[in-house]
Amino acid sequence: MMACRMLRPEKLEEWLAELLRSERRLIAPQRQGEDVVFQPVQTVDDITLDYINTRWPVKAWFFPPSEPVLRYRYQGSGVELEQPNMALEPRVIFGVRPCDAAGLAILDQVFNSDGEDEFYTRRRTMTTIVGLSCTHPAASCFCTSVGLSPTASAGSDLLLTPMGDAGYLVETLTARGEQLLWEYGHYFAAGECRSKEAVTEAAEARMSRQAALAQGIELSERLFEHPIWAEVARKCLGCGVCAYVCPTCHCFDIVDDSDAWGGVRCRNWDSCGFSLFTRHASGHNPRPQQDSRYRQRVLHKFSYFPQRWGRLMCVGCGRCVTNCPVNMDIYATAQAVLQVQGVKHET
Amino acid sequence: MSDDNWRPQIVAFVCQWCTYAGADLAGTSRIKYDPNVRIVKLPCSGRIGPLFLLKAFEQGADGVLVSGCHPGDCHYVSGNLLARRRFTVFRELLIFLGLEPERLQFSWVSAAEAVKWTEVVDAVTAQIRALGPRRQGWGAEARLQTSNSKAQSLEAQPGTRNLKPGTQKAVEEGIRRIARQLLQTGEAGVIVGYGNGTLKDVTTPLFVTEPEGVEQLVWNERCLNNLSVYLTREPVTRLGRVGIVAKGCDARALVALLQEHQIERDKVTIIGVQCAGMAENGRLAARCAVCDVHTPPLYDHLVEDRALDTGDWAEGDPRDREIAALEALTPAERWAYWQEQFARCIRCYACRAVCPLCYCETCIADKTQPQWVPPAFDARGNLSWNIVRAFHQAGRCIGCDECARVCPAHIRLDLINRKLALLIRDAYGYRAGYDATVAPPLTTFRPEDRAEFIR
Repeated sequence: MMACRMLRPEKLEEWLAELLRSERRLIAPQRQGEDVVFQPVQTVDDITLDYINTRWPVKAWFFPPSEPVLRYRYQGSGVELEQPNMALEPRVIFGVRPCDAAGLAILDQVFNSDGEDEFYTRRRTMTTIVGLSCTHPAASCFCTSVGLSPTASAGSDLLLTPMGDAGYLVETLTARGEQLLWEYGHYFAAGECRSKEAVTEAAEARMSRQAALAQGIELSERLFEHPIWAEVARKCLGCGVCAYVCPTCHCFDIVDDSDAWGGVRCRNWDSCGFSLFTRHASGHNPRPQQDSRYRQRVLHKFSYFPQRWGRLMCVGCGRCVTNCPVNMDIYATAQAVLQVQGVKHET
Repeated sequence: MSDDNWRPQIVAFVCQWCTYAGADLAGTSRIKYDPNVRIVKLPCSGRIGPLFLLKAFEQGADGVLVSGCHPGDCHYVSGNLLARRRFTVFRELLIFLGLEPERLQFSWVSAAEAVKWTEVVDAVTAQIRALGPRRQGWGAEARLQTSNSKAQSLEAQPGTRNLKPGTQKAVEEGIRRIARQLLQTGEAGVIVGYGNGTLKDVTTPLFVTEPEGVEQLVWNERCLNNLSVYLTREPVTRLGRVGIVAKGCDARALVALLQEHQIERDKVTIIGVQCAGMAENGRLAARCAVCDVHTPPLYDHLVEDRALDTGDWAEGDPRDREIAALEALTPAERWAYWQEQFARCIRCYACRAVCPLCYCETCIADKTQPQWVPPAFDARGNLSWNIVRAFHQAGRCIGCDECARVCPAHIRLDLINRKLALLIRDAYGYRAGYDATVAPPLTTFRPEDRAEFIR
């Protein structure tokens, strides 16, 4: 399945234009004010390639912030239920950065862990991810520190890596990717499998954040109870930005949005940073303050998740770092915690 | 709208002593009038909170009518006069967000005014019938879709003035000197100030508890955070008596916190800093362009900036031009503009978390019994949340615009805050955060308060 193709620079736009005319819905990065966001494409001219990364990770296209799972209406003494409309046309999402694609690979594990999550999985199977390797990482990026790379292929169906004037190296990674390549084969030149190593190395050389965090945090009682958590979390104000811009955070809450006649049961994003996240009906809160909540966030990503799934739940996109109102920095925190744990790390 | 069978649904919230009795009299007098109004009776117009009006709109009302006793007739002396200020501000907020003014109306109807009641109902019904059904429900289903509204072309206008940073190093030294002294003498157990962040050009809130640590305190044009938010946070206050570094806008928040009895004046030491303005995208932040608190209104120690250049403010606040441009649009265009903005809201509540005046133990948005704010992150829920946030800040917001700075979706909360601040300044001669001894504007009234919109 590791066949390689090249896509000439001038062919990229032609290919996207034809995708736009096809029965697939094309979703690609576009300007929105000062940001670049994934949006359904109206014309190919709206697509931009000028972005380090999109404002939001791609996860919302699979796991929306708020999703109706059923609607209900009171009828006499009974209740009438209505399933949400699950119809979905096939989609191509173009331009997903390797960190965000890797986030999808992580969500795939979570949403298929004990039974299949039909809402998530349906969108996944109807969507082909065309990844786009990263050549100019931001100052907040740290994907190599968590075991990924600016050209990593996890989560993508096709991955394009810019190879200068020669165009894009096209890696076919899944059957969905192969299908897309087969349908539009005439845009892609068969060629020898050129190595993307030089591109990877050049991009990595531009990254200032390169610590060894990939081994994760080894949990001990001492570490769990260590005063470092209160120290690092003191400035945390308890909003949900970090979780909501994270490509891998997947916690949700099921709530009823209702009135006297009926309502919608919806699945809303939730965040371990909120006090409400763990508050019991009795009023007792096992995570009474921000230190234990932030500890949960860090340990879930660097300890609990790796224990269960064998990989970190952080892809190093840096969004939580740049969007935090008070500069909470998970990269710095993970390093500090590893130091407490006694692990030497390079900076 | 061409449907001849359509009848508007209008909810009337009335006080039980005057308007309800007036409506009762209209009924017993067999006066014929439009039957489209459903009456909800409450003890006093002072009990008719904006949340009720929101709920009516949320659940599909085409119009809402609020009616109570005439000024001077209130069964509880002043309930209607207090309510009048709230109604004034709430009405203007909804109009700014694009609601047609005719859909939210107010009247004073006494127990004897059966005829006036029927006339009010007929007039309101006629106006709403002419408008037709409320467009698109409460909040348009616009998530992740682009709309091509004219209003969308209104782009953020950053300040055009350059920064005049002043003598940052000297100020920084001054802050450190006072901080060291406070920690050494034990006057403060913790200094809340700014330190260098983990990324270039970013500062971070810093808590210093040892005199040696003051060298980490910094001062530059990127000290954006309003640190006064930490004065109501136990993990910080548990470190001891707080000494806090405060710009003018931060000190205004401290004034408001004192006014609302959230902090005690003798339990905090304020290190006021003269500030020439903060930077956003390398330019003077919009809110700093009309700053009149370069010297904080409240402090115990003042760190002066000898080179402070407050410039001339002839250019005014760039946001005022944006507000004027929005107000020149039709209600439908304004509605489209704000729907597009609110559609981006992901309810991360960063706006709430950074606000020094959002100190409620449990936010109304998190309450479920009753569920005041719709929990779904859809157009309806997002609209209600943003209205509740804005209205709760009305007359209290000190204009630091931290909420707008941290919003990951870049929703123009600053325009809403500014609009309400201007309204309250013009209507009640009040600006928040200057004087802790006066009553906040929505907790008081004057007999001559604005009432031109009340029938």
